Amino acid sequence: MNVDIQSLGTFNQLAHEGAEQATQSMGQMTGIDAVVDVTKITLLDRADVGEELAGRDFVGVQFSFDGVLEGDTVLAFDVDSAGTITEEMMPGSSDDEAMARSGIEEIGNIMMSGFIDGWADYVGATIDHSPPEYIEESGGDVLPDAPENGDHQQVFVFKSEIEWIDESVNFYIYMLPEYESLTEMMVEHVDTDGDAIPIDKLQTFNEMTTSGTQKAADNVEMMTGIPTESEVTQISFAPIEDVPKQIGTDTFVGTVVEFTGTPSGYLMVLFDEVSAINVAEAMMPIEMDSDELTDQHKAAIEELGNIMTSGFVDGWANVLQTSVEHTPPRLVHDMGQAIMDPLAAQVGQYQEHAFIIDSQMRTDDIEFKAEIHALPNEKELRAALNDLDVERATETGADVEQIFK
Amino acid sequence: MPDVLIADDSEFMRNLLREILEEDHEIVGEVENGVEAVEVFKEKGPDLVMMDIVMPIRDGIEATDEIKSSNPDANVIMCTSVGQEEKMKEAVKAGADGYITKPFQKPSVMEAIEDVVPS
Repeated sequence: MNVDIQSLGTFNQLAHEGAEQATQSMGQMTGIDAVVDVTKITLLDRADVGEELAGRDFVGVQFSFDGVLEGDTVLAFDVDSAGTITEEMMPGSSDDEAMARSGIEEIGNIMMSGFIDGWADYVGATIDHSPPEYIEESGGDVLPDAPENGDHQQVFVFKSEIEWIDESVNFYIYMLPEYESLTEMMVEHVDTDGDAIPIDKLQTFNEMTTSGTQKAADNVEMMTGIPTESEVTQISFAPIEDVPKQIGTDTFVGTVVEFTGTPSGYLMVLFDEVSAINVAEAMMPIEMDSDELTDQHKAAIEELGNIMTSGFVDGWANVLQTSVEHTPPRLVHDMGQAIMDPLAAQVGQYQEHAFIIDSQMRTDDIEFKAEIHALPNEKELRAALNDLDVERATETGADVEQIFK
Repeated sequence: MPDVLIADDSEFMRNLLREILEEDHEIVGEVENGVEAVEVFKEKGPDLVMMDIVMPIRDGIEATDEIKSSNPDANVIMCTSVGQEEKMKEAVKAGADGYITKPFQKPSVMEAIEDVVPS
């Protein structure tokens, strides 16, 4: 089943415009000035949907929709901002629980209708949705179970992040379509054959990347002794100008490499500052006990980034029976967005949208979290997917003893 | 006790290898790229080169090829984070005698050296 890049771009644009329509509705009802920050399509494991919401409490509304497209959508506000929104709509209502709840349901109803309508207009058919269901949950539980996808564990999720201007509050619109109905719709709207990607192979590629993340996590554990687990691995599709925003404004220490081959692109291994110090000290034979990054920490991070990068991309090369070269790692220490900006600009010379491959790993033993982000050239990723032999997808390792025998 | 040249662009990894090796081996040099590796090899003629692959200026496979062309009896162990089959085949083609993937522990390094330069 092939889907062309233009369709993915159009679908992403539909979700973005739907989110803008929803945000505009909210602005009219509350006077709150907000903008849609990022909209992306993500392919990820069902179990990982909503992982980024962990540790926060949300209220929101959920709808089911059916017709040419089937699935669920959720509008989620964090608890504090929901109170502010109802207060803006109707002063005094936040103290009256029933009234506050009704207000959230209504604003959700209006916002989400705007979100869905654009999709229906695009396909020239009706998409019906259920009445709003009020929800109050923690973390990813605010989202419904992701739809089943036959034997596959991966699902497509559309996510818009909406930023409330002048307030450090964000809220989210998630759309979790049924895989079959979404891919059928995508296929129906293939405009050209030239830039089609095999959507099933994208899932296989994502599974290979999960294996690469685990290898990178194993490398961290071997070098530091810190038990490290790989967590979320996902492939997202977004306009190139939105890519840096996804990394956020937190400060990171890590490495950037340019990789060449099929595909080419950039790969970042990023640690927050505390994690960087912790992991670097765990690699050193002597105890440093420093709160600041020294040159020794940086040298350790550089080497760890190098080894994690190899662990991450070697599997691609082995499955595709090619080689993926990468430059020596360049140490970076900056805001995530500032690290990503020049890389996205480079890739953006050749494409309007980008696939972004994101992985995370963490440990509970000490404060340690690492992220890997890959930004491949879209045309070359498409070529790699076309060449991908699904039967070989598990052959990510290489037998050095056999080769050197 | 073979003497060893270490070629790796990472200071951290050079230090780590030196700590592993210096008890039983003489370290004749530490270099940061493939060009320096070839120069120091020709100058000092070590028994063994521990060669990284991804290095600036000239990578470890090209350097190995040049070292082996100048002295087919040279012993070179690739010591790299790269675990790609195609890259390993390139290393074999360049004449590498062994291949260790990072991260590694001391026993695997000593075993690889023993295989290539038996004591």
